[in-house]
Amino acid sequence: MAIHQLERVTNLLTVLLSARRHVTFEEIRNELRGQYPENLVAARAAFERDKAILRDEGVPIDQTVLGGDQAGQTGYRVLRSSYEIEDFGLTPEEARALRLAVGAIRLGTTWSAEALWKVDLHGSIDDESSGLGVELPVDERLPVIHRAIAEHRGVVFGYHGRERRLAPWGLLARDGWWYLVGRELANGEQRTFRVDRIEGRVEVDASIVSEIPDGFSVREAFPSDPKLLPDNVDVGADLAHVLIDHTDVASVLAQYGDASLIERRADGSAVVAVPCVNVRAFLHWLFGFVERAEVLEPPLLREVVVRWLDEVTGGRS
Amino acid sequence: MSRRGPRPVNLRLRRILVMLPWLMDRGTVSTTEMAARFGLSVDELIADLTLASLCGISEDPNDLIDLWVDEDEVHFGLPKYFERPLRLTRPEAFALVVSAKAASGLPGSAEDSALAGAIAKIARVIGEDSLSGVDVEIEIPDAVDGLSAATAAAEVLTIDYWSPTTAEVTHRRVTPLEVFADGPHWYLRAFDHGADAERTFRVDRIEAWSTTGDIDRRSIAPRRAWFTDSPDVSIATLIVEAGWTWVLEQYPLVATESRDDGSVEVRLVITSERWLQRLLLRLGTHARLVEPSHWATLGPETARRVRERYLRT
Repeated sequence: MAIHQLERVTNLLTVLLSARRHVTFEEIRNELRGQYPENLVAARAAFERDKAILRDEGVPIDQTVLGGDQAGQTGYRVLRSSYEIEDFGLTPEEARALRLAVGAIRLGTTWSAEALWKVDLHGSIDDESSGLGVELPVDERLPVIHRAIAEHRGVVFGYHGRERRLAPWGLLARDGWWYLVGRELANGEQRTFRVDRIEGRVEVDASIVSEIPDGFSVREAFPSDPKLLPDNVDVGADLAHVLIDHTDVASVLAQYGDASLIERRADGSAVVAVPCVNVRAFLHWLFGFVERAEVLEPPLLREVVVRWLDEVTGGRS
Repeated sequence: MSRRGPRPVNLRLRRILVMLPWLMDRGTVSTTEMAARFGLSVDELIADLTLASLCGISEDPNDLIDLWVDEDEVHFGLPKYFERPLRLTRPEAFALVVSAKAASGLPGSAEDSALAGAIAKIARVIGEDSLSGVDVEIEIPDAVDGLSAATAAAEVLTIDYWSPTTAEVTHRRVTPLEVFADGPHWYLRAFDHGADAERTFRVDRIEAWSTTGDIDRRSIAPRRAWFTDSPDVSIATLIVEAGWTWVLEQYPLVATESRDDGSVEVRLVITSERWLQRLLLRLGTHARLVEPSHWATLGPETARRVRERYLRT
């Protein structure tokens, strides 16, 4: 019966970890007698597949071209010091805090639980919960970008149909989305990208050295309210005055604070000041109220709203 | 936990490499406890451990991994390989940093020196730049702190909840189950005593809340996807122009299909007519409602109603 690939890969890892020097494929095949196919081509292909599994799992296989009697052959080994995780030295309280953190922040993958198994090897299982949860989905490109930032390397990816070469400075999760901020090499300017809109894979480009500016804070790099991000529509003002029906006033003030209140009217409605630098984002917000809100100022913005509505009605009003 | 089909080799290897040092640390463990710890069924655990016990640098029993399964227990003998887990992979390091940093922004964490201590130790091992390269911004409404404390204490609450659909405030008696953030909003998942069913409330729409003094402990099932348990929803089909699908990003979509002209056909859950009115206004002329046909004129009719406001003033 053919040996299970899992058994062969595990055996290969024990050989590589136990080796006191680099070992060749032939030596490995000899150690694991009968586990690789007799046909040399098939055996080599199986060996490559096994190595790929180990590398994909993060096993640091060191390989080198040998000299001496084995001149020209490739030797492999796994250094225990680079394989084994360092002891994080967590106290029981710190380990418990991390368990709670991993339980509360739901990334939609098993990555954080698997990390915890490794760093909290001595910890016990507990069902404790902080009573709070945060849904924060991640995708497989984020760890690649994260590593590039930490190693001050560049990244290359597709965005809006063009290849972007970027010196990445920071990743930010905000409102459920992940943003990447860095300097785009094509024009030398600071740019922000939504990671979920990146097309395809992110490649690391070690030829790009990313110098992160002193004092850079990704949180401060762009406004949190999309209505503050400039777009191409200039309505002559950065703040709109919006009349909100009494039914929705409490909800708006909860969002923008009492400082946004301009006027409270007798019927309970209110005029509030809301950012409109990004007109598209502003319209998105405004139409959430359907007929229970109305733009009063600036006049150009009011015109934009009316034109939008007329287009939807087919010009009839 | 049952799964369909064989488990991939890489996933089984990943588990084995972390289970062995864990088992070595304990010597003898019940199969049930170990399976629960690593998210496996007992059968899957025994299959993996049995296979691991056949592994080593040679077939000599002295070279094999020294473990055996006996009745309901797993025993570990002499350590030979895998005494420590494999170092963190890139995704694991990223996920650990994100979880720790995000949790440090949650209520109660400011005074939690244990989490700060854990973060400092993570930074020491994986590098300060790994920690500073990623940030998680979570805005927390004032009510979240109190609601999460009430949830932990299983205290029955009364809430005044404003509904955007009816523009009315209703008074409800609820047992809080969970407080969670999803996208830009926080939610209270609770058992609604009036409706005799579970409901999810947006925290910023809770105008007032108070505790009743009653305690009601309930078991909590994992949260289901949005709207999967709502009986009164329907599905609409829209064709959205290329470049305008961002409007739909915050909504749960049932299906999407790209069309030859670059537009996208989407099917999405409609929770109320009012909700659909908002969506159609937001999309303007950049989308067309295909189904259901009885809402075919809803977009223009809604726009006309809003437009009337701008005639009056």
